Amino acid sequence: MSTKFYERVDKLPKGGLTVMALKSLDTFLPGQWDNLVGFDHTIEKVTGETDPAMVQAIAERAIALFNDKSQGYQRALWLYETVDSASGLLGTAALANRIGQDTFLGFLKNVTPKPEKAQTIDLCVKLVTEVVAFCQINGIPGDSLGDFLRALGDYSGESLVRMTALVSFDGIIPLGADFSSKALKAIKGMGPSELESNRTFKGVAKEIPGKDSKGKLAFITESFESTQGWMDKLVASQGITQSKLLDNVSGFVEGSQGKLDYLGAFLDMYVKYYEHTGVQTLARRLIERAVAEI
Amino acid sequence: MAFARWLKKLAPIVLVLVLLVSACTAAPNKYDQVQSETTGRNAPAAVAKEAEQGSTFNQFFPDSQGEYEVIPAQEKKGFAEYKLNQGSTTIAMLSINDTTSVPAAAAKYADATETVAGYPMVNQGAMATGLLINDRYQVKVLSRSPSFTQADRVEWLQKFDLSGIAQLQGAATPVVPGPAAKAQPLTVPPGAPQAPVLVPQPAS
Repeated sequence: MSTKFYERVDKLPKGGLTVMALKSLDTFLPGQWDNLVGFDHTIEKVTGETDPAMVQAIAERAIALFNDKSQGYQRALWLYETVDSASGLLGTAALANRIGQDTFLGFLKNVTPKPEKAQTIDLCVKLVTEVVAFCQINGIPGDSLGDFLRALGDYSGESLVRMTALVSFDGIIPLGADFSSKALKAIKGMGPSELESNRTFKGVAKEIPGKDSKGKLAFITESFESTQGWMDKLVASQGITQSKLLDNVSGFVEGSQGKLDYLGAFLDMYVKYYEHTGVQTLARRLIERAVAEI
Repeated sequence: MAFARWLKKLAPIVLVLVLLVSACTAAPNKYDQVQSETTGRNAPAAVAKEAEQGSTFNQFFPDSQGEYEVIPAQEKKGFAEYKLNQGSTTIAMLSINDTTSVPAAAAKYADATETVAGYPMVNQGAMATGLLINDRYQVKVLSRSPSFTQADRVEWLQKFDLSGIAQLQGAATPVVPGPAAKAQPLTVPPGAPQAPVLVPQPAS
């Protein structure tokens, strides 16, 4: 059964932990992220068109583009879904029945924090997933590497909030303020076998360029190195710090103060921010292309 | 036995209820038709095989100027799009597409009453103005901010290299097969760094 992309957008949650976590980043990105839900609603917001016939025409072209496998959109969706579910597998079985009724303190009894190395790999793999998904969705815009980095640097809306969530929830909270240099150092000292045993990597490995794990590790390292400056700038320009993040997160995860390691694991498991904002990014790009092509 | 009799009477009622409930939950969506037309083994491709590569279009976009910055956004087969930013706000989108994949897009210019630089121009919806070159290449400017008016769109349409687009031969013009029909290599500035390592293969 083919994915009905319009239904995915219609069914995006309006509340819950993922949305609360993303909204907690609003202090760093005031007004940048509007939780756009609903396919027609997204079309109206992105294009400014409200005439039903026009909205229908845009939607039909967007759906046709998504359904054409050769266009890469389905692969991008798979990447966004998979990187989230693979990283959140830790301890899920033990907690499967408790979701929704658990408090953070109850959660603590059932889980061990991820070792720093696993957390580092998660961060790097998620970043690479973003680069790969970006190319699946947008192609390689422009004529040079400089153009490509300019396109990547012009992130806004849900893409920007996803990257902010990445550096916050998978970087600063578990690894600290110097997360990017720490992660780069760790990944440079890592062998292919360590990478192979990481769940997040295994989930998306087949879409990461490189003929074997060694090649994929090189690609991951290089991508991380190329975008490190971009991440550090994001953190500095938005004034993101560990203590500010904790203040924000404790607003919806009670009792999380002083339990950084566990908080990282908790967010990992319950907050599916890649999938949520990934569907939104995909919808936006498809709609932007559709309205221009019709 | 009494129980069986009850069951007999109850069964149709339950059946009707079940059908009602499932009919409600599976309410048809207005996009189900296009979904079924574009999926499955015989579904037509969304992008025509003979469509121009998106990278061919890059050279025809206007450059950044003054307070306006032109930033690459998408490049797929038959399509390229740039953002027009003023400060950190995107005020419009600029696009070129090959209508070979979307014949209806070209057909709307048949009724055009206005021209820009000699090419038929139409306003579409509330936010877009486009023109069509050689009955094939559509150039569009789409407002993303209400302050960017129709007049602004027409002004920016003229900043594209329209005569350059008019010289495109088509990626695979099937008229005269032979050496003349060979596609020209893409015009990437010599020495411009490609992105072979950082990026994976893009979708075609």
